[in-house]
Amino acid sequence: MGKHRLNRERNRRLLNRMLANRSFVTGSILTLLMIALALFAPLIANHDPYEMDVVNRLSKPDAGNWFGTDNLGRDVFSRVVYAAQSSMGVGLTATLITGALGLAVGLFAAYYKFLDHLLMRICDGLMAMPVILLAIFIVATLGAEIRNLIIALTIVYTPTIARIISSAAIVVKEQTYIEAVRSQGASNPRIIWRHIMPNTLSPLIVQATFIFADAIILEAALSFFGAGVPAPTPSWGNIIYDGKNVIYNAWWMTVFPGATIILCVLGLNLFGDGLRDLMDPHTVKK
Amino acid sequence: MGSHLLEIQDLRTRFRTERGTVTAVDGVSFHLDRGEVLAVVGESGCGKSVTAHSILRLYEERGEARYEGRVLFEGRNLLELSESEMRAIRGNRISMIFQDPTSSLNPVYTIGDQLMEPLRLHQKMSKKEAHDKAVELLKLTGIPSPEKRIREYPHQLSGGMRQRVMISMALACLPDVLIADEPTTALDVTVQSQILALMDELRNRTNMGILLITHDLGIVAQHCHRVVVMYLGEVVEEAEVRRLFRRPLHPYTRGLMKSLPQMHTDRSARLHVIRGSVPSLHEVPGGCRFAPRCPHADEQCANARPELADAENGHKVRCWHYDKILQAEETAHVIANET
Repeated sequence: MGKHRLNRERNRRLLNRMLANRSFVTGSILTLLMIALALFAPLIANHDPYEMDVVNRLSKPDAGNWFGTDNLGRDVFSRVVYAAQSSMGVGLTATLITGALGLAVGLFAAYYKFLDHLLMRICDGLMAMPVILLAIFIVATLGAEIRNLIIALTIVYTPTIARIISSAAIVVKEQTYIEAVRSQGASNPRIIWRHIMPNTLSPLIVQATFIFADAIILEAALSFFGAGVPAPTPSWGNIIYDGKNVIYNAWWMTVFPGATIILCVLGLNLFGDGLRDLMDPHTVKK
Repeated sequence: MGSHLLEIQDLRTRFRTERGTVTAVDGVSFHLDRGEVLAVVGESGCGKSVTAHSILRLYEERGEARYEGRVLFEGRNLLELSESEMRAIRGNRISMIFQDPTSSLNPVYTIGDQLMEPLRLHQKMSKKEAHDKAVELLKLTGIPSPEKRIREYPHQLSGGMRQRVMISMALACLPDVLIADEPTTALDVTVQSQILALMDELRNRTNMGILLITHDLGIVAQHCHRVVVMYLGEVVEEAEVRRLFRRPLHPYTRGLMKSLPQMHTDRSARLHVIRGSVPSLHEVPGGCRFAPRCPHADEQCANARPELADAENGHKVRCWHYDKILQAEETAHVIANET
């Protein structure tokens, strides 16, 4: 069938565009690597991340302990691998909730004028506070638990998404095709969700990858302040926190998890940049 | 009374703006019958589009407009219906097509998805039924290979094709009234005549009434039965098409006609231009609204607002001096012919 050939042709061209985008390719590889780390942690780690070996405290990286051991004699490599689960899990969950919430807030604020003032002023207020301070405040109030950490990240990042969605939706709302579906008898919820929402998805997806990266950094920062993932569960942030006191005689405790955070965030940001270029037809390279 | 398909009585639409409230449509009345094409003509900003949108109450959702007067459709005042009653009318009994077909289709859905929307909204069809009906509708508007087109996205179609799709969508539920807001302004002249011919044909078949908003007097002459001329939010003249073209009464209408190039006149002469420009709705003149631009205006025009009066056999005009102006012109004609 001609239609199938056409589709195949279109898919092939999309694939070529993706492969030609270097930041997209690098970002995807790094991100997939990190996801694999989290998903297959039990297969990759060569030690139990919780097993203490008091004799082997703070030993240098060697053939047995690739990233060395920490102040309790735990294998740093295995802890970094397992930390991918909590760090990325917290980041991803927070990103998904933030995306959904920000989407709803942004769309409603864009569509209903009276809600715009209310919702966007709340967002302005939240955005006026330094992110890290606000997050520490929320976790300190609610208690250092993974659930509260996710709540804090969600509250911190929802205004950013809401703003972006709302500015995209305001443009879409004024298009003739929205007026046209209203003239066909579509109800407000139908107009918002079926007709405006899909047109705001590409900025949402791009922004979500950046939020994901930001959330991982913020989680690490909070864990470093002791307001993040509670011990003994490893997270990249709290491994660095543990290594802080011994940084002069055990550099491996801070460098390896630090480098992992950098790789993960770099990967996500490159992925997001590439995605933005691919989705926005105006940035096609000459 | 009450026998018309659509009757607008003393409609006023006000908008709140930062510089105060403006009345974009100020006391407009006209009617539309079954099988009839009524043209609403006027310059940009005269309120013809606002009138059309007000009939379907398309502004109020966002709380920016207030309506007064009555829009009677089959005896029911649309301005008093609830929002859900209104939704049952939009796209079902009264449909609308828009000026720019390039922006009136949602880029993220296929033609088919969008064609099925009014059918799913009003006729509760299953997906299969709606799909078949959509193909049929596309065929009706003369789109070649509709089964293929239905899976395509708006950007894959030309402007004329998209306007045909819009017409298919508007006609999906066989409406009684079709409001066409400058449906051909954005199209090539050849495509324009195809689209208008299509609308004529479909009107003959379904006997719907068409309200055609346009600023193109050529279209009015060829495709319409009656004309309403609007200026600055009010109706200044209303007549049957032939009567209006033979003998326009209002100085504004006369100005419009004179600004058209004619076959039999000297083509090296410059075209007539109505002096001045349409004033802003924030500074509507006190008396006759056209007075500041009218060559015949006097003190009476500046101070008192004329009523829309029946001049002869349903030819209505809003002017103090239309008979005097006509007489003067006829005398001038006679003199010109004698010399």
